[in-house]
Amino acid sequence: MGFALVLLLLTIGCIAIILAREAQGRPRPDGLRGRIQARGWAVLLLPVALAAAAMAGGAHGLIPAELGLAVLAIVFAPKLAARLVPFGLFGLAIFGVHLAKEYRDGVTWRVQYLFVHTEAGGWGTPAALAEAAILFVAGVWLLLRLDAPGAGPVRELAARWLGRRRGGIRTAHALLLIPVAGLFMLLLGPDHWFGLQAFDGLDAAVADLALATAALVLVFRSRTWAATLAAAGALVLGAYGWLIVEFWPATPGFAFGVSDLHNSPAPTPLWADALEGSLLLALGLWLAPRVMRHHVADLSDPELAARAQQLTRRVQALTQTRRDAVDTAAAELRRIERDLHDGAQARLVAMGISLRAAERLFPTNPEAALALVAEARESSSQALTDLRDLVRGIYPPVLADRGLADAIRALALDVPLPVELDIDLPSPVDLPVASAVYFSVAEALANVTKHAGARSVRIQLSQAPPAGPGGLLRAQVTDDGCGGADPAQGTGLAGVERRLAAFDGILAVSSPPGGPTIVVIEVPCALSSPKTSTY
Amino acid sequence: MRIVIAEDLYLLREGLVRLLSAHGLEIAAAVASAPELLEALVEQRPDVGIVDVRLPPTHTDDGLRAALQARAQVPGLPVLVLSQYVERLYARELLADQAGGVGYLLKDRVFNDEAFIAAIRTVAAGGTVLDPEVVAKLIHRRARDEPVARLTPREREVLALMAEGRSNVAIAQRLFITEKAVSKHAAGIFDKLELALSDDDNRRVLAVLAYLDS
Repeated sequence: MGFALVLLLLTIGCIAIILAREAQGRPRPDGLRGRIQARGWAVLLLPVALAAAAMAGGAHGLIPAELGLAVLAIVFAPKLAARLVPFGLFGLAIFGVHLAKEYRDGVTWRVQYLFVHTEAGGWGTPAALAEAAILFVAGVWLLLRLDAPGAGPVRELAARWLGRRRGGIRTAHALLLIPVAGLFMLLLGPDHWFGLQAFDGLDAAVADLALATAALVLVFRSRTWAATLAAAGALVLGAYGWLIVEFWPATPGFAFGVSDLHNSPAPTPLWADALEGSLLLALGLWLAPRVMRHHVADLSDPELAARAQQLTRRVQALTQTRRDAVDTAAAELRRIERDLHDGAQARLVAMGISLRAAERLFPTNPEAALALVAEARESSSQALTDLRDLVRGIYPPVLADRGLADAIRALALDVPLPVELDIDLPSPVDLPVASAVYFSVAEALANVTKHAGARSVRIQLSQAPPAGPGGLLRAQVTDDGCGGADPAQGTGLAGVERRLAAFDGILAVSSPPGGPTIVVIEVPCALSSPKTSTY
Repeated sequence: MRIVIAEDLYLLREGLVRLLSAHGLEIAAAVASAPELLEALVEQRPDVGIVDVRLPPTHTDDGLRAALQARAQVPGLPVLVLSQYVERLYARELLADQAGGVGYLLKDRVFNDEAFIAAIRTVAAGGTVLDPEVVAKLIHRRARDEPVARLTPREREVLALMAEGRSNVAIAQRLFITEKAVSKHAAGIFDKLELALSDDDNRRVLAVLAYLDS
C-alpha cells in the first residue's frame, strides 16, 4: 500500500517535470531543476523501473539496483532512457495480462501490480487488467510522441485506421468525462484503489468532489484530454464489467453502480453486469477513434510539431519586437516634429516677419530695411543648419550615398581619437539593416568619447559568411579606456538593443573595470544584390 | 571666366546661373545629371565646374563621382562641389590627387555671393577651399601623435584659414597680424609637415590634405 503511494507520487512528480519543461519552451533555468527539465521524458524511466522491480517479486536489492541503472541512463543517456520508456510500459502491460491468465489457471501469487495488490480471486486482479490496458495505450502514445523505434509502422496503421480527417474535439465529447468519472468513483472508488479501506462517507465525498472539480477543470482546459480520459475510462470500466462476468462470477459485481464490493456483498445479476459492461465498452469504442484521430493528427508528424513550437516562439518574439519598433518609430516622429517646430519652422516664421517689416520700411528707411533683409538671410541659413542636423539624425547622407562601409569610415573621421579601422564588407548591406548598425556603432563611439577616457579605438566590421544568404553582419568597437560600462545604465545602449532587435540583431557589451570595453553588434542580414553603376 | 553648372533642382540651377551671370561669369553649360556633367566638363574644359553632390540618375553621390572621374581624365580640372551637408570623407577624396583646384562648400554659402565668387576664383586659380564646417570639425579634434600635432596653436589657426581657401592677405587681416608673419607661419607649417620646396600653391594643398588626414 505504501509502495503504491510512493509509485503514484513518483509518477506524478515525473509528469509534473515533463509538463513544466514543455510549458517552459526554450530557456531553461540553471541548476538542478534545469538539469532535470533537460532530461524531459527520460525521467519517466524512474517510475517504470520501480514498478518493474516491485513486480519481479520485490526481492531485496533489486529495487535499488534497477533504480540506480535508471538514474544512470537518465543522466548519461537521456535520449536512450526516453526511448526505453514506451517499451517498458509495453512490458508492464504484457505482464499484467499474463498475471490475469495465471490467476485464472489457479496460481496463488500475491503481486503489487502498480497501484493495486493482486491475488487469486482478489478484487485487485481485474483492476490490474485495466491498468495493463492503460499502460498499453500510454506506451503507444509515448512511442509516437517520442518518435521511438517502431513509431513509423504504428503511425501508418493509425493513419489507415483513422483516416487523415482533422478537426477539434466537440465539447459534448469532452463533457462525457463527468459521468464516466462519476461512475468510476462509484464502482472502483478510492477505497478500492490502493486497497484503502478506511474511507468513510465524508472522505469519499471529498474525494468525489475533488475528482469532479478536476474533471471540470480539465474539460475547460483541454477538451482533447478530457475526451481521451472519458474514452479510456469507459473502456476500462466496460472491460472490468466483462471480466467480472467472465472470470469472477462470485464477486459482488457492479451493475449500474448500485453495488459496493465491501459493504454490500449481495451479487448483482450477471446479465446486468454484462449489459452495463457492453454499454460502456460501446461508448468507449465509439469515442476512442474520435479522440485518437485528434491525437494522431498532432503526433503523426514530429517535425510538424517541432515546427509549430518554433513558430509559436517566433511569433512571440516578433510581437515583442514589433511593439518596440512601433514605439521607437513613434518616439522618433515625435522628436522630429518637435525639432521641426522649434527649429526650421520657427526660423521661417521669423524670416517672414523680418521680410514683411523690411517691405514696410523700404520706402521710408531703406537702410533699416536692408538690415532686416540681412537678418532674414541669417535666419534662412540657420534654418538650413537645423534641417541639416535633423536629416543627419534621421538618415546620414553618406549612408544613403555610399553604404555602410564608407558611412562608418566617415563616422570614424569625426571621432576625436586615433581610430583603427578594419572593414571587410564584400557585399552591400540592406539599407534598413545598415542604418541600424550605423546608429549602433555611432552610439558606441559616442560612449567611448564621452565616458571611456580611451586613448584609441578600434572598429571592426565584417560579414560571415562573406557572401550568400543567411549572412551575419558583425560590428565590434573596442577601446582601451577605463571599462566598467553597464548597458543596463542609461538609455543609449538599451535603445540600440531595441533597434537591433527589430532585425533579430543583438548587442553584447564586455567592460570589466579597468577596461578594455568591447561592444559587439551582430545582425543577420539578407544581402542585397550588388548595386550596378549607371555610368 | 567660363563655368559649368550641375544642379538637378531647376530653381537652384537658374538661381546660380543668374547669380554668376550678374557677377560677369560666363555660363558654358548648365546641366541636371551626372552623365551630362561628365560630358560637359570633359568637352567644355571650363575654368570651374560647380557641382551638386547629389544628382540623377541614382540621386546619391553621382555628382561627386562624375567630378572625380572628370579630374582623372583632365588632371587639375577645377571643381567646386556644393552640397546640403559636408563630409570630411568626401573632402579627402577630392583632395587625394593633390592637384589642387578643389572646393567643397555647403550650399548655404551661396547666400554670401561675394565670398562665393571669391571661392570660385580661388578654385579656378588652383587653390583649395574647404567649408568652415569641415574645418571646424578638425579644430575640435584632440591632437594626435601626428605631424599636425607638432604645430603651434597659431600655426593651426593659420592652417585652418588656409584650408578655407583664404590668401595670406586675408589671413593676416583675419588674425590681425602682418602678411609677413603669415608667410613665416606658413613656412613653419610646411617645414613641420615636411613638405619639400615646390610652388606655394601645391604646398598649401598638401598641408590642407595632411590636416584632413590628422
